[in-house]
Amino acid sequence: MPRLNSFRELEHLRQRLLEERRGLTTTVLVCGGTGCRASHSGDLIAAIESELSQQGLEGRVRLRATGCHGFCEQGPIVIIEPSDIFYCHVAPDDAFEIVSQTVARGEVIERLLYTDPISGEKVRTESEIPFYRQQYRRILSLNRLVDPRSIEDYIAAGGYSSLVKVLDKVEPDKIVMEIEASGLRGRGGGGFPTGRKWRECREAPGDEKYVICNADEGDPGAYMDRCVLEGNPHLVLEGMMIGAWAVGAREGYIYVRNEYPLAVEHSRIAVEQMRELGLIGENILGTSFSFDVKVARGGGAFVCGESTALMASVEGKVGEPRPKDVHTAVDGLYHKPTVLNNVETWANVPAIIHNGSAWFASNGTAGSRGSKILALTGNIKNTGLVEVAMGTPIKTVVFDIGGGAVNGRPIKAVQIGGPSGGCLPVDKFDLPIDFDILSQAGSMVGSGGMVVMDEGSCMVDVARYFLAFLQDESCGKCVPCRLGIDRMLEIVTDITEGRGTLKQLDLLEELAETVAETALCGLGKTAPNPVISTLCYFRSEYEAHIVDMKCPAGVCKALITYWIDPERCNGCGVCLQSCPHNAVTGKKKEPHMIDTQLCQKCGICRSECKFDAIRIV
Amino acid sequence: MLQYVNVSIDGAIIRAIKGATVLDTAIEYGICIPHLCHVPYLSDIGSCRLCIVEHVVNGRSKITTSCTLNVQEGMVILTNTEKIRKLRRNIAELLVAEAPNSRAIQDIAVRCGVKEVRYPFRNADCVLCGRCVRVCAEVWKAKAKGFVGRGKERHVDFPFGIRPDFCKQCGACIQLCPMTIPPCDGPMKPGEERLCGNCESQLMISENMPGSCTWCRLGEGFACGRYV
Repeated sequence: MPRLNSFRELEHLRQRLLEERRGLTTTVLVCGGTGCRASHSGDLIAAIESELSQQGLEGRVRLRATGCHGFCEQGPIVIIEPSDIFYCHVAPDDAFEIVSQTVARGEVIERLLYTDPISGEKVRTESEIPFYRQQYRRILSLNRLVDPRSIEDYIAAGGYSSLVKVLDKVEPDKIVMEIEASGLRGRGGGGFPTGRKWRECREAPGDEKYVICNADEGDPGAYMDRCVLEGNPHLVLEGMMIGAWAVGAREGYIYVRNEYPLAVEHSRIAVEQMRELGLIGENILGTSFSFDVKVARGGGAFVCGESTALMASVEGKVGEPRPKDVHTAVDGLYHKPTVLNNVETWANVPAIIHNGSAWFASNGTAGSRGSKILALTGNIKNTGLVEVAMGTPIKTVVFDIGGGAVNGRPIKAVQIGGPSGGCLPVDKFDLPIDFDILSQAGSMVGSGGMVVMDEGSCMVDVARYFLAFLQDESCGKCVPCRLGIDRMLEIVTDITEGRGTLKQLDLLEELAETVAETALCGLGKTAPNPVISTLCYFRSEYEAHIVDMKCPAGVCKALITYWIDPERCNGCGVCLQSCPHNAVTGKKKEPHMIDTQLCQKCGICRSECKFDAIRIV
Repeated sequence: MLQYVNVSIDGAIIRAIKGATVLDTAIEYGICIPHLCHVPYLSDIGSCRLCIVEHVVNGRSKITTSCTLNVQEGMVILTNTEKIRKLRRNIAELLVAEAPNSRAIQDIAVRCGVKEVRYPFRNADCVLCGRCVRVCAEVWKAKAKGFVGRGKERHVDFPFGIRPDFCKQCGACIQLCPMTIPPCDGPMKPGEERLCGNCESQLMISENMPGSCTWCRLGEGFACGRYV
């Protein structure tokens, strides 16, 4: 494609693309996000493609492999436009039926429709599904409009018009004011006001400035940045370019972890396509603005998501944080003023410029505006990516969107904000998703990971899991983080293994406070949150472990024993055969017994037993 | 020409050299802030976190390390509040539990008011203060050793574990190492580690007279700012 040299040429290209697409009657959208790819959507895309060509529909029907639709639990997802028919759990074998019936004749295949779990009725379109109905999808809804590998799709969908608007008639200073007025706050975890960061960087002395997109998302269970960058890389890049123009940067980096191969690939393709069209490079669209983007790959260290560690990593140094007594907006990458924002923050920028700050600020609470993408996982019916307006209560997300508990056990807690977030009990579910309110309650919005736990989870074990994760991922530079987390883990492990004392609980609390106050970077400062919040809301569980030597949830192996209920056991012998340690004894048709000396508490017998006779005491 | 700024450290108005760190300024004026990883002629990385102070901005205090904080006009610093003493004691306790077999670490623990150690002792050989790495890289420009690994695995080593030719075995790293000063009674046997406290009588003064420097042997041993 030829280089675009003016705003009019971009507009011509858009009109031409729209003209070309007028002949299409139907579009088949297949989710090519990571979640659906794991359930073989790659094969499905190939199958539908070959079906379309075999049935001679290529000219009229377009197949679009889009980014994530959010409802990963139901994947692979196929949507057929314009009637918006929504199919879930589609297998490659269904391709023939979909093409011959739905695409060619417009008939709906009942079998592939989503079934509402409450009413049991089949649902035809996306907007009628309860999972989507309660959401407010500003960014994720754009995913279905584009094929992430095609800049034409993005331009045809109105892309880069915000960039044209700012380059054409908005002063850089006005852009910063607009972002400040919108109340946009950093979506990566800290919640720092984006406008203030831009202002600081804009006013910092120096000609050489940088913008960075932080796509080093490493929280267990969180994948919203991944899906946005994979599904709509041009949106993020447009946001970055607006930011670069506003603060006066000429160079940008996308720091994406190498474990996200699709995100790396898509962002590279996007940058290449933009370079071809002259949307990055010298004198973009004939203006004085020059900008270049490089894709930097991260080596998979969790701590590199911290701003200064990330910058060290981009510079080619060891990814370790440094003290931030001067903000990175003034002293950042190569000690130059740098704006570092999360993927989701950048993705919000084009829409704010396009629709105005008042539109963005119309949703949310006083302190937190706009929408937030959450990764809903855990013991819940509908897992996936959820985008809600700020201020939505937690219970709406967990019960209405998430559909409630998956296996009948009541929900006990939700852990928000990744490993550094805190666990909130059910009686705090009225709290809204809001930066300030959640951090007052001992949790945080963080990057938006949301792990729902039911009565089968032991909160002490949850704290132990997150501490073990953070101990592994701590860079080890400062004493409170390296030794403090290690000692906290030691104490919590002691408690889960039945060696804990009540005195240790006070020590744990004091240590958690010390680490939170004195650690060098954000990782250490927030690392004790799982401990502090579980100690605050679930202290009785800790005490049960220490005083009664019991794990109420039946998770901590040292504190439980398996026992066969003789009234329920009919001596079928399944547990006897399945036990890898030969700990089950008993004659056929007579109640069996478990030898507690031999039992390794693996739980295989319990999962095998059809009569629910094996109990944890 | 040197420029000066006025800062308040523990209530005393001090005329500090512009661009100096709070820790250097405090030491120069005889206010002792315990520190381990700081060496006057090396860069500061803020890793030991012992030199934490309260930096009061608009009535809200922020805890930060004084070795990485530069003085600014009108700055208010508190080095010895109840909160800081408690946090510092907890950090020193972590350090001494990790490496009790060093006179320097033992003295720091006593200086910071550690009375008992509530964690099991570990007898590590290194507290990763990074003095050796920095002196090798910054003074001798050799970069013969560096940090390897992350988190619990982090340790100091030569590149690829082999001593390179450009390490001239000058011994600068050993001179600065806090682990090379054994306790007065000799090295402790594994399993018999304890909080030594022999120098407590000398150092106890410091707790009653906050901020004063007792000219402890500790500083002499490994380059406290006052002895350089």
